[in-house]
Amino acid sequence: MKTNSVKYITIILLALASPFAYGQCRISGTVKTDQGKAIPSASVLLSPSSKGGKTDSTGKFSVEGLKGKQILSVSSSGYKLFTKDLSLDSSIYLDIILKPDARTLNEVTISAGSFEASDKAKGASLTAMDAFTVAGNNADLSLALRSLPGTQQVGDLDGLFVRGGTGDETKQFIDGTLLKNPNYPKVVGVQQYARVNPILFKGILFSTGGYSALYGQAMSSALILESSELPEKSSAYFAIFPPSFNAGIQQLSSNKRSSYGITLRYSNATFYNSIVRQKPDYFSGPEYIEGDANFRVKTGKTGMVKFYTNWNVSDVGMRNADIDSTELKSSYQVKGKSIYNNLSYKDYLADSWQIDAGLAYSYNKDHTINGLLDADGQPVNPQNEALSYKNAQRLIRSNFAQARIVFTNTFSNNQALRFGAELFYNQDRGFSNDSTLSVTDNLSAAFVEGDIYLAKDLAAKIGTRIEYSSLLNKAVVAPRASFAYRLNDGGQFNLAYGIFYQEPLNEILYQGTNLKFSKATHYILNYTKKARNRFLRIEVYRKQYTGLVKTMPVINNEGSGYAQGVELFFRDKKTIKNLDYWVTYTYLDTKRDYLSYPFALQPAFATPHTATVAIKKNFQEINTYVNVSYAVATGRPYYDLRYSIDENAYKIFDQGKTKAYSVMNLQIAHLFSIFGSWKQRPVAGFSVGVNNVLGTKQVFGYNYSLDGANKVPITLPATRFFYAGIFMSFGIDRTSDFLDKNL
Amino acid sequence: MKKLTLIILALVSVYFTSEAQEQGKRNAALQSAITKLDQATKAKDFELLEKEFLGIAAQQQKDWLPYYYAAFCNAKVGFINQDDGESIEPFSNRGEKQVQMAKSLLDTVQQKKELSELYTVLSMVYRTKVFINPMTYGRKYGVLSQQYCVKAQALNPENPRAIYVKAWEMYKTPKMWGGDKEVGKQLATKSLALLQNEKSDVQPHWGKIENQELLGKNK
Repeated sequence: MKTNSVKYITIILLALASPFAYGQCRISGTVKTDQGKAIPSASVLLSPSSKGGKTDSTGKFSVEGLKGKQILSVSSSGYKLFTKDLSLDSSIYLDIILKPDARTLNEVTISAGSFEASDKAKGASLTAMDAFTVAGNNADLSLALRSLPGTQQVGDLDGLFVRGGTGDETKQFIDGTLLKNPNYPKVVGVQQYARVNPILFKGILFSTGGYSALYGQAMSSALILESSELPEKSSAYFAIFPPSFNAGIQQLSSNKRSSYGITLRYSNATFYNSIVRQKPDYFSGPEYIEGDANFRVKTGKTGMVKFYTNWNVSDVGMRNADIDSTELKSSYQVKGKSIYNNLSYKDYLADSWQIDAGLAYSYNKDHTINGLLDADGQPVNPQNEALSYKNAQRLIRSNFAQARIVFTNTFSNNQALRFGAELFYNQDRGFSNDSTLSVTDNLSAAFVEGDIYLAKDLAAKIGTRIEYSSLLNKAVVAPRASFAYRLNDGGQFNLAYGIFYQEPLNEILYQGTNLKFSKATHYILNYTKKARNRFLRIEVYRKQYTGLVKTMPVINNEGSGYAQGVELFFRDKKTIKNLDYWVTYTYLDTKRDYLSYPFALQPAFATPHTATVAIKKNFQEINTYVNVSYAVATGRPYYDLRYSIDENAYKIFDQGKTKAYSVMNLQIAHLFSIFGSWKQRPVAGFSVGVNNVLGTKQVFGYNYSLDGANKVPITLPATRFFYAGIFMSFGIDRTSDFLDKNL
Repeated sequence: MKKLTLIILALVSVYFTSEAQEQGKRNAALQSAITKLDQATKAKDFELLEKEFLGIAAQQQKDWLPYYYAAFCNAKVGFINQDDGESIEPFSNRGEKQVQMAKSLLDTVQQKKELSELYTVLSMVYRTKVFINPMTYGRKYGVLSQQYCVKAQALNPENPRAIYVKAWEMYKTPKMWGGDKEVGKQLATKSLALLQNEKSDVQPHWGKIENQELLGKNK
């Protein structure tokens, strides 16, 4: 019994004592990535022994003096923690693979050809507000975006002239649908305001080339705008910036599922122009009245319906000295009226399906009246028959409608398949003097696009777009492809290729429709690096144009051209606290043979070298913001291009290059709070600014008289543009909006 | 037999003592990491310590403290690198996750003081998200940071670390938006006074360097 029980107990004791009865063991091994690369300095820890160490440069480790049950944990920055339960009775060797910690890696997002400014921006990436608040923007997104590379500084025209393309080759889209007339009707030599307020947008994608198959009919550039969601709170504001007056409210429903907003703007420059003398003699306005309203409602669990409507009228009438005579004046008046409506719907259907649908309708009326006046302001008829066009009237009414639907299926690794279709209805009716002008076109498009992740660091976006125009009776296929390859240090290479078609302008289609689409082919290589609040981007491209419209000897599609260049962008928010600046450089080499050009020429809106600087300094202590933008560009070519009867063709009678261009804009804003006793203190601010603060004499080109003897420079209507105003908001902190508009 | 019983008892007690020793060793690992944490100043130090705390967390799966300290390390990296924009993001994200892990190990009804400590760190983690890009992240995470600081103070009004975070907020917020340097100074001084009574064991006791830095930079 005794011996038996001792035996028995010995076994129990041995079992109990087991943790320290075994000999000492060793764990060694390697730590590698899933691609077999050694991970040095990974920490290896065993518990409960508390023994451990680090891997060497070849990823090897070794821990001695272990016994019994141990938990091994291996960790390294950027990788998921590895743990393993071990029961050690002899030395072991382990090959450990650490998986990358996806949370520490940025996604590969394709960025060739595009600048994204969104509410998701990190570090030195642009936010929508960064883009809007460039000094001298005049609340026009297009002007603000001229501080980015790839754009031309064209002081006498509005819109975006991107990479050798005209302003008409850039299109703006709101929530997927086309904004056909973003600016007030053209006035020769004077930039006109944007009709749509940039505050509405939380995201902008400014593509200077190689954009997605989801968009089309823009040979050069697409400006893709995404409107804001529900506001956080109800609010109201007003701003007085003579000559402009603004007021608006934004109301969020009590269940926070819907909101509506209304804003009104009125601007009349008559008084301002009486103080700051303008070169043209304005006899009417400039006057702009604008109102917009939005309604946003959540539907179901994930759906969102947004409605936006904008209506406006404008009137600009001015007199200038007539170029062909010494005693006469020519008058020009344009009255515009436009209504724009946009209804969009977004929802998530089944697990991974998303639907985006949009409807847009716009009406646009432009009425222009040209007249020749004598010294007493009485209408006269020119003696020369060739100048009879100077007494002219033109009225165009445009109806535009668009329907669009896009389905997206998302897969793992951020892969996605998108497809959809859209229809554009385009009808113009009008007259020019005694001839009627009319165009009706139905353009339909279907597209498919895939986001494909080829490898961990390599992504592709491949798509194609088919477009058919009823007016041209032609269909075209536009393939698009872009690739992104991410480097380990945060740098990324992007490559893009695409074909972009565009219908001839209505201006041309009034005269004839036996035409085809114009075509541009883009090739883009880009390198970006974003790190520690700094952002560097370098892009080179080549663009080939074919099928451009020529107006001589008859309207045809025989035109062609090219553009190529290099662009640089560098933004730094880190070096100096509260100072944010970016610098850009654009090199452009372009020629095109189009319209009445006798052969390929460098177009009058293009110059080889452009550099811009945007600086924003926040004096936080005193709630003051100073904003400066500067642009410098080499001179632009100008031509006296006229019909030569002798040669029965257009001929260059004179040509030259304007002086170099430079402009500096300055804005200062100061915020303060008032009515401190109120529960919801309103926020107020004032802002002052000067565009072209240095008063540089700017020449954008020259106008020639019919005989070529008189040459008149195209300059700014006034050397400097001044503004000052106050702003007050109630409810929510709308500081950012204030800054949007005024900084 | 008696002798045998004694041997058994002795061995059993040795066995349980060794269990206790193992627990002791785990605490020793935690204590040793915290001692290093008390001396850490550079982002790199906190990055390495985060890994160490995670290693400990993997072994003491029922203790909230290793996760709490790992999250704190991530918050510190974010504060030190606050001008580095997007590079803070992975630390913020990890910190947020670690706070959730720690919270799941707490009895949120009973352990008010612990929860107060945790919310203090969460408030700091959300503040680091604001640093990523104040313009886009400020509205959401600035508000969250404030809210968790308020919650932390409500759970334990005498928590010197929650008071420190509030002091930081008062210092850095422009006056117009409710900041007040004088109030910030008072709070940091109060926090320092409360810190004097704390032991440097494994329980949260950081804050001295942070408060001194705040007071030193803003005399």
